[in-house]
Amino acid sequence: MTSKHVRATRHTKFIKNRFASRFLRSHLRMKRSDRFGGSQSNEGVRKRSTHRIKIAAYASMALAVGPSRTWSRALLFKLRNRARLQGVLRKRCLVSKKNKKKRVVRNKVIISREPSRTDTLRKLVPGGDSMDICCLLEETAHYIKCLATQVKVMQTIADQLLL
Amino acid sequence: MDGSGDKNGDLGYQNRVESVMKCPSSGMNTNPFYVSAWDPVVSLSQIGNFGGSSTGSQSEFSNSSFPIVMENPGISNTCHLVHYPSDSGFVELVPKFPGFGSGNFSEMVGSVGLTECGQIVNAGCPPNYKEANNESTAHGAKRQEDQQLSEETTIGALPNGKRRRLVAESNSLFDPNKNAEGEFQKDPSGESSDIAKELDEKKQKVEQNCGANLRGKQVAKQAKDNPQSGEAPKDDYIHVRARRGQATNSHSLAERVRREKISERMRMLQELVPGCNKITGKAVMLDEIINYVQSLQQQVEFLSMKLATVNPEVSNDVEKIQSKDILHPRGGNAAILGFSPGINSHQYSHGIFQPGMPVILNSNPQFSPAHAVLDNELQSFFQMGFDSSSAVDSLGPNAGHLKPEL
Repeated sequence: MTSKHVRATRHTKFIKNRFASRFLRSHLRMKRSDRFGGSQSNEGVRKRSTHRIKIAAYASMALAVGPSRTWSRALLFKLRNRARLQGVLRKRCLVSKKNKKKRVVRNKVIISREPSRTDTLRKLVPGGDSMDICCLLEETAHYIKCLATQVKVMQTIADQLLL
Repeated sequence: MDGSGDKNGDLGYQNRVESVMKCPSSGMNTNPFYVSAWDPVVSLSQIGNFGGSSTGSQSEFSNSSFPIVMENPGISNTCHLVHYPSDSGFVELVPKFPGFGSGNFSEMVGSVGLTECGQIVNAGCPPNYKEANNESTAHGAKRQEDQQLSEETTIGALPNGKRRRLVAESNSLFDPNKNAEGEFQKDPSGESSDIAKELDEKKQKVEQNCGANLRGKQVAKQAKDNPQSGEAPKDDYIHVRARRGQATNSHSLAERVRREKISERMRMLQELVPGCNKITGKAVMLDEIINYVQSLQQQVEFLSMKLATVNPEVSNDVEKIQSKDILHPRGGNAAILGFSPGINSHQYSHGIFQPGMPVILNSNPQFSPAHAVLDNELQSFFQMGFDSSSAVDSLGPNAGHLKPEL
């Protein structure tokens, strides 16, 4: 029991350190490119950089966890195929603008029930769509742990930078 | 009719059982083919007339049709069933199938436990087992009744469903049997072969003889068998025992296991989510969990926004940060992150911390090219990142990861 606990804490520490190093590195890279690239005052630029930092944070967390977890795998897959998926989505939007109405109606017919709490959780946890409830809860637990770690690390970094 | 017919019937019967026993497959109870493969058995047995001469056709049949059954993946359950004859559990099965003819039943017994010859002969002769076989070894052993037995004998008077439930408790794989039973009940009396008739008569006789006390005994034997059959397959299966009053068919058992799993996970989550300790009820807890995850994600978003808005000029005032750090060392954060002490040691107190942080200093040369290339502020940034990574190095085995990526 105690050894298990120690191992778990060490594991979280390990993940935390890995996440911190990865995130700092990607953050640095971003800063450098921004510095060479252009201005920071612009609202759109700031928004974009927020998005980028967020993605960097998620990516570094998923990388720190590794592919052993379903949620991290899903997250990595999503991030890796982000550009492609966005392109596909845009194309699909352009193509299916005409019969959009029809599709919406059909979807409504098929999914008539209200989304339950589990469905909400599924949406929140990456990769949760394809899990049964047991897996979902387990992954949620791990995801919460990692998110809390991430928040802590990012908070510390932000404090460091702002002070 | 009773005496001679019984004897003849028994002879033919045993022959049949033996012939069926030659069949290579050991268990067919559990697979879906069981029911479908049954009708041919019945028809064949009619043709073969069950005499000593019928053995050939019987064995042929069994050779031809049972291997298919064996290849069925559902057989993984058969180890349970093979146990049953060896425990003489099939004796208890006899009253379990009241509706279908004993001819069918004997076939079933023969085909179920084909490997256990002696036991099957015992178990396969429903009329005999009361008078003669009860004195035989296995049954005699079963007579030793313990507390559980006496407890269960009270159930003996209860209807069939109860007994079936008991069997299901001991071994949840009897569902196919039940299904098969349903089939058999349609089959049996319609078959007009003479042996089948005899066996039917015998069956009836057995049914008459089996008074309440015998039923009690049988149930008791079942109860006795339960632990035996439950212990053996424990290696292969997650064995779940149902307590009294709980549903015992396999679906309910599986469902119960699932629910226990979910509640265990819920407990795990309860520890993780703050303010979730006093909440009972899964729905509320799920709400809480959802809220917590959402809040964490929003926090990440907010923090990334914060990081994005951080001015490089401000952020690069590293000396200010460090002086503040030194003045107000934030122990918790530093301990968590492991990089703020690294900063301190680098910029200010090399000499002081040097003995304490040999790893950081050792890993310095790896990163020196990066230091040379970067300008001042980036250098300070990098030292932060690098120090955290060196802390990681000192912690764990991922030194190799960091070097090539930088």
